Amino acid sequence: MYRNNERIEEGIRGKMIKGLNYRFFILLSTVLACTILAFFVSFIKNETIVYTHFFYVPILLAGVWYRKKAVYIALFLSFVYILATYPLTHLSIDVFARSAIFVAVAYVIGLVSEKRAKGEEKLKETKEYLDNIITSSVDVIAVVDMEGMVRSWNKAAEDDMGYSAEEVIGTSNKKFFADPEEAEKIMRIVQREGGLKNYRTTVLNKDKKQVHVSMSAALLKDKDGVPIGTVRVSRDITKEVGLEEKIKEERDNLNLILESMDDGVYIVSKYYKVEFMNKVLIDAFGYHVGDVCHKVFHNRDDPCPQCKNTEVMKGKTVRWEWDSRRNNKTYDLFETPLKNIKGTISKLTIFRDISERKRMEDELRDAEERYRVIFEHTLTALCVIEHGEVVTLANREFETLSGYSREEIEGKKWIDFIADEDMGRVQNYCEERRKGEAPACCEFKFTSCNGEIKQVNAWIEPIPGANRCIASLLDITELKRKGDELRETCEKLKELDKMKREFLNVAYHEMRSPLAPIVGYASMLERCELSGKGKKYLYIIEQSARELEKMINRMLELARIDSKKIELSLEGLYIPEVVAEVVKGIEPEAKEKKQVISTVVPEVKIQADKQKMVAILYNLISNAIRYTQEGGRIDIMVEDREKEGDIRVCIADTGIGIPEEHLPKIFERFYMVDTSLTRKSGSLGLGLSIVKEYVNLHGGKVWATSEFGKGSKFFFIMPKRQ
Amino acid sequence: MQKKRILIVEDAAYMRDMLSEMLEQAERSYEVVGFAVNGKEAVEKYKELKPDLVTMDLVMEVMDGIQAIREIKKDDPNALIIAISALGTPEQKKAALDAGAGEYLWKPFTIKNLFDALEKLLRKREDERGSAT
Repeated sequence: MYRNNERIEEGIRGKMIKGLNYRFFILLSTVLACTILAFFVSFIKNETIVYTHFFYVPILLAGVWYRKKAVYIALFLSFVYILATYPLTHLSIDVFARSAIFVAVAYVIGLVSEKRAKGEEKLKETKEYLDNIITSSVDVIAVVDMEGMVRSWNKAAEDDMGYSAEEVIGTSNKKFFADPEEAEKIMRIVQREGGLKNYRTTVLNKDKKQVHVSMSAALLKDKDGVPIGTVRVSRDITKEVGLEEKIKEERDNLNLILESMDDGVYIVSKYYKVEFMNKVLIDAFGYHVGDVCHKVFHNRDDPCPQCKNTEVMKGKTVRWEWDSRRNNKTYDLFETPLKNIKGTISKLTIFRDISERKRMEDELRDAEERYRVIFEHTLTALCVIEHGEVVTLANREFETLSGYSREEIEGKKWIDFIADEDMGRVQNYCEERRKGEAPACCEFKFTSCNGEIKQVNAWIEPIPGANRCIASLLDITELKRKGDELRETCEKLKELDKMKREFLNVAYHEMRSPLAPIVGYASMLERCELSGKGKKYLYIIEQSARELEKMINRMLELARIDSKKIELSLEGLYIPEVVAEVVKGIEPEAKEKKQVISTVVPEVKIQADKQKMVAILYNLISNAIRYTQEGGRIDIMVEDREKEGDIRVCIADTGIGIPEEHLPKIFERFYMVDTSLTRKSGSLGLGLSIVKEYVNLHGGKVWATSEFGKGSKFFFIMPKRQ
Repeated sequence: MQKKRILIVEDAAYMRDMLSEMLEQAERSYEVVGFAVNGKEAVEKYKELKPDLVTMDLVMEVMDGIQAIREIKKDDPNALIIAISALGTPEQKKAALDAGAGEYLWKPFTIKNLFDALEKLLRKREDERGSAT
């Protein structure tokens, strides 16, 4: 912008040259006029004194214009004056005095003038110096008037902004800003504050490219103090901004890394001041940036004895474990020096929470201890075999089994414990077991320390991930002996059972044989003429014989069931018919006791063994009659259960009932509710057993309910199809 | 009507006595012509006496009743035999009937049971003859 000034200067200089010639001419004219006047007065009028006043005009002009050089003019004019007055006065003192005054006045004026001129020179030099600074400044310097118009524009401005001074002077400064509001804002601030320092803003150059600048501005005032504009100095800080952004980005990245770490991180200064904490650590201990670390983490006024700050500050990296009493956690600390930008050193600490690992380690240790105790105190002999050869570990029971001490066992060969005859077999087994082929258990003969042979059951289990296996040995010598005994006993018992069965079969047969003449002769006796008493006795004999026969038959039947000799001969049974048949056969007994038998039977047909079905019904109904007093009633109800595909038969009586505690046992053999000798009628309690066996044979179910003293209900279910 | 001649095969003396006593009760119909105490003797006696009917105990020494029935039947397919046993199992009954016995009587039995069985057997034979002729 100072081009403009230069041009102005040039103009001024041109004028000055013209001015100089003009001054010289005027001076010469006045000197000439004074000289002429002096001679004219002295020659024409013969006066000497008057008109010397005129001489001061050129002296004054010369003094002003040519400074001390005015003395020469004064000397010249003094000479002229003396020369002019000489013929008249003969050089009086007065003339010399006047001449001296001329010179003195000229000198004084010259001196004053020169002093003034020197001041102006200095001013000019200063101005030039400033102009040079402005011109050569690398900062953009511009002057903007109060209306926002550019008034001055330096070289740096032209270079940086791309606009030439001619283009911008006299135009608005708004176009230079990325945000047009910015122009007015800056103006307002400068007006309000009187200046602006290091204000960051973004300007646009001629290519509309954004340039970051740092701007300082000052208010320009005229001599009355009225603001007339602002001078603005701007520096291109694009590079600095870029650098700053890059630094910020780096810092953000670092922070991001530190924040996203699973581990806690803090940075502590040399003076134990917390400079940074990441989120993990803040979550664990709270926000303490700016606090003192030993205060925050250890609740101490002075540094902790185990603190590694001094070591780390010396450049060492340390790693140690810290148990925090504040949150009962264990941390693996990694501490390393961190060099700051300023050159100071801080300590970066990474807190890895290893409480869980510690806990697991503790648990592992506990588990190991537990297993060791189990290993040691189990009643099974255990040993660990390394590489299938050497016993490396044995428990107390193994000591007992082998008779060796632990020291003797450990290191001994595994095969030394195996009897010669079994050696090959056991080794094969171990080999196959390692391949996972053999069954888990192997029986062999074990040799103990004194050569005693023990029969053992061995389980050999490979330990995953190691070339070793664990062998558990159970001494079954005694067990085996007992097993053999048991087997023998069992064989004997089987033999005995067979004999018993055969014996019973013969016995039942032989028991029936003597019945034959009793029944036979009794039947013949009936045909003889007998007295009343005789008839009665005969009746008793026949009844007893029949009862005995029935009993023997039942025992025979159960024996046959037990030896699985019974087979069902199935046929289609029309239930109403079967029930009617049984009732018909048994009714006389009921009539004797004045009992009523009623039946409710639906039209249903099932597949069953007729003889057995009849026996079931007969047994249950005759039981009901037997255990019901005179005049009681017996209800037979058959239910056809379509959904279940079976029939449910209920035989209910109004008899004496069965005490509840006996109910689960009544179907057992020879079980009788009333075991007293005074019980009413015979029967060895086999009837219900046979019922149960027959029902089971048909795939059915039998049970009873009873109310003691009021009666019983016997139920059985029989599937319709086998 | 001609009396039916009967051979009693029984190892137990009291049973032999009882059977003959019972048959004596109907002396107009039956006549005991001989006794045998085991199967072997029964076969011999049958050949010798040619009776109309045989009461055959099944459980005996030397030769049991089933074997004896087979032998007799082999000799005379028309022989009428009543098997008598105390065992009374379905298996035994079946074996006796299969061997050729016409009836099976289970000890103990009454006089009525015996006569019913005999008459049933005879009627069966007559029915067969009737249908044959």
